[in-house]
Amino acid sequence: MEGNSYLPQLARVVDIHEEVPGERAIKTFRLEFIDGDGFSHKCGQCAMLSIFGRGESMISIASSPLVHGYKQFSIMRAGRVTSAFHELAVGALVGIRGPFGNSFPVNDWHGKHLVFIGGGCGLAPIWPVIQTAVTKREDFGDITVFYGGRSPRDIMYRSELEKLRGAAEVYLSVDSPEDGWEEFCGFVPANLMEKEPSPEDAIAITCGPPAMIKFVIKNLHALGFQDEQIYTTVENKMKCGIGKCGRCNLGKDYVCTKGPVYSWADLKELPQEY
Amino acid sequence: MERILDKGRLGALVAALADWTVLAPALQDGLWAYRPVAGGEASLTLGHPNTVQPPKGQSFPQREVFFTFDETPDGQPRLTPLVPRPAPRVVFGVRPCDGQGLTHLDQVFGEEAPDAYYQARRGTLAYVGLACNSPPSRHCFCTCVGGSPFGEAGLDVLMIDLSDRYLVRALTPVGEALMTAGQGVLTEAGAQDRAEAQQRRLAALAHPQRAVAAPQAVPERLKAGFGSALWERLAQPCIGCGICTFLCPTCHCFDINDEVASQSPVCGSRVRTWDSCQFPDFTMHTSGHNPRPDLGARLRQRVSHKFQYYFENHGVFQCTGCGRCITACPVGIDIVTVVNQVAAEAAAMQPADS
Ligand SMILES: Cc1cc2nc3c(=O)[nH]c(=O)nc-3n(C[C@H](O)[C@H](O)[C@H](O)COP(=O)(O)OP(=O)(O)OC[C@H]3O[C@@H](n4cnc5c(N)ncnc54)[C@H](O)[C@@H]3O)c2cc1C
Ligand code: FES
Repeated sequence: MEGNSYLPQLARVVDIHEEVPGERAIKTFRLEFIDGDGFSHKCGQCAMLSIFGRGESMISIASSPLVHGYKQFSIMRAGRVTSAFHELAVGALVGIRGPFGNSFPVNDWHGKHLVFIGGGCGLAPIWPVIQTAVTKREDFGDITVFYGGRSPRDIMYRSELEKLRGAAEVYLSVDSPEDGWEEFCGFVPANLMEKEPSPEDAIAITCGPPAMIKFVIKNLHALGFQDEQIYTTVENKMKCGIGKCGRCNLGKDYVCTKGPVYSWADLKELPQEY
Repeated sequence: MERILDKGRLGALVAALADWTVLAPALQDGLWAYRPVAGGEASLTLGHPNTVQPPKGQSFPQREVFFTFDETPDGQPRLTPLVPRPAPRVVFGVRPCDGQGLTHLDQVFGEEAPDAYYQARRGTLAYVGLACNSPPSRHCFCTCVGGSPFGEAGLDVLMIDLSDRYLVRALTPVGEALMTAGQGVLTEAGAQDRAEAQQRRLAALAHPQRAVAAPQAVPERLKAGFGSALWERLAQPCIGCGICTFLCPTCHCFDINDEVASQSPVCGSRVRTWDSCQFPDFTMHTSGHNPRPDLGARLRQRVSHKFQYYFENHGVFQCTGCGRCITACPVGIDIVTVVNQVAAEAAAMQPADS
């Protein structure tokens, strides 16, 4: 219905890909709007996905805005709604409303080197930026992707990450050593320190568990990155997505409308309630 | 437009407003609440200090169904939106603090993506205010937060009590329409009536009230006092009941949940209900991580939202000084005291020249 922000559109699950098994399983869902093209989005925006009878969850749009016809979402099994998503089969109809939030200022980064640092489920929100950068490869300088999981099984987008090689430097890591793992063993922030990306003309984009982000930012500072060169996202609990239900704020900003994307220069000025 | 209404003819005025459903404060079980009134009730008076609940529920009900969902025979979800189409209603006896509160709700539900449900209810609502000749509660503090006992914001009509009669003043086109509908009951207002109303106004403004100290400095001082240990100390007695937010004329936080009547076939409704920043679940992530993990952080959110964050966004406080949260708090947490203590501590910690 026109002008009713709470009424979802219907979308069909056309593909389900299991990224990560286990207790904190992650699956990627490809959704197609059943009526027309639905809405377009920018890198970093989110959507409220719902299963009727279970509720809604805010999920980052993980596909590139340059891709038309479908949107992808990588959902970690957490509670009521996300677990219900993990039970779905291809063909199911779900609700979707959005897009919500601001976006990564990708157009301001033309000519710059991009350093992505992700951990756990935190590759999903920055994946559209990575996709946009490699699709419009000539618009950007070097592209470097750091990503880590607890174990090799926890690495999401494994085959897509492999496909990035060539267009981007990809540095993967796992927290603890395991047979057959040939890349870095240790936490993502440590891998970052070992590879020492240069801050010269660079933008760092990081997303992941709060503890990881804290150390990543500390290490980026140590490498010489300024606050203005560092971008991250904030995931506070959300219900409405339109600055009304009142729960997602950092001080005067509702993250659902003013975020979720922040430069560290802006974020450090806000109350650290995330 | 200004007219005079004899106090004994309030019921007749209500009867004249045949195109509206009229609500007015009524005393039930010892509590004042807005209730529908039938026209011609000779006994109708506006004898309330203020209602226990502000009138916000008229446009923002405590529970509201956004849409129902069920399954078609072939198992597809089917949504039926329930945007209300209420008949015109007019609420009598609204105190100016609560009129002010409505302007904040209008702001929140009107900005960015307007809220279709709020707008639909609000669009057919009119508010007839009643000026406060004296503070209805010992916890009133409207004058220090930008309000006035004779304030007109958010109201369509203001009534001023002149002992045996009211001076009735239209403030909006809707207010004019109401007074036109009631013209058979209203009489011309004269210079004497206006002079008397002005006297009442000056006397009301002179009435001592409780006060937030140096209000213009409060947003900056709360910002400086974000890390103060006072938040935790002042919140210590809090039992997290949320009554402060439920009775607040400006609190607008809500939750959205699915209420399920049947799992197979799926059938139920998506429902909005008032929520409260005083509840731990309000911000708690599924992982158990909570950005506002304690009573102090939650008290700070309630107070800073009204006295700092909203001010930073809109240039006005989101508190209207009605005093309900102070009156109703079972453990005596007092928003005026909290603001004053945190602000005073921050002021004392600032260098003297700034
Ligand atoms: C900006 C942003 C981006 C995000 N991006 C992603 C992403 O890309 N991928 C990802 O996996 N996660 C993402 N998240 C996190 C994700 O939103 C949460 O993990 C998810 O909402 C958890 O929902 P849940 O239902 O599984 O958990 P729960 O804790 O079970 O419930 C969450 C909600 O479900 C409903 N609910 C729960 N229990 C009940 C009940 N008993 N009755 C009625 N309703 C109930 C309520 O509405 C409740 O608030 C993001 C979060 C934000 C804020
Ligand atoms: S999610 Fe409701 S205000 Fe941000």
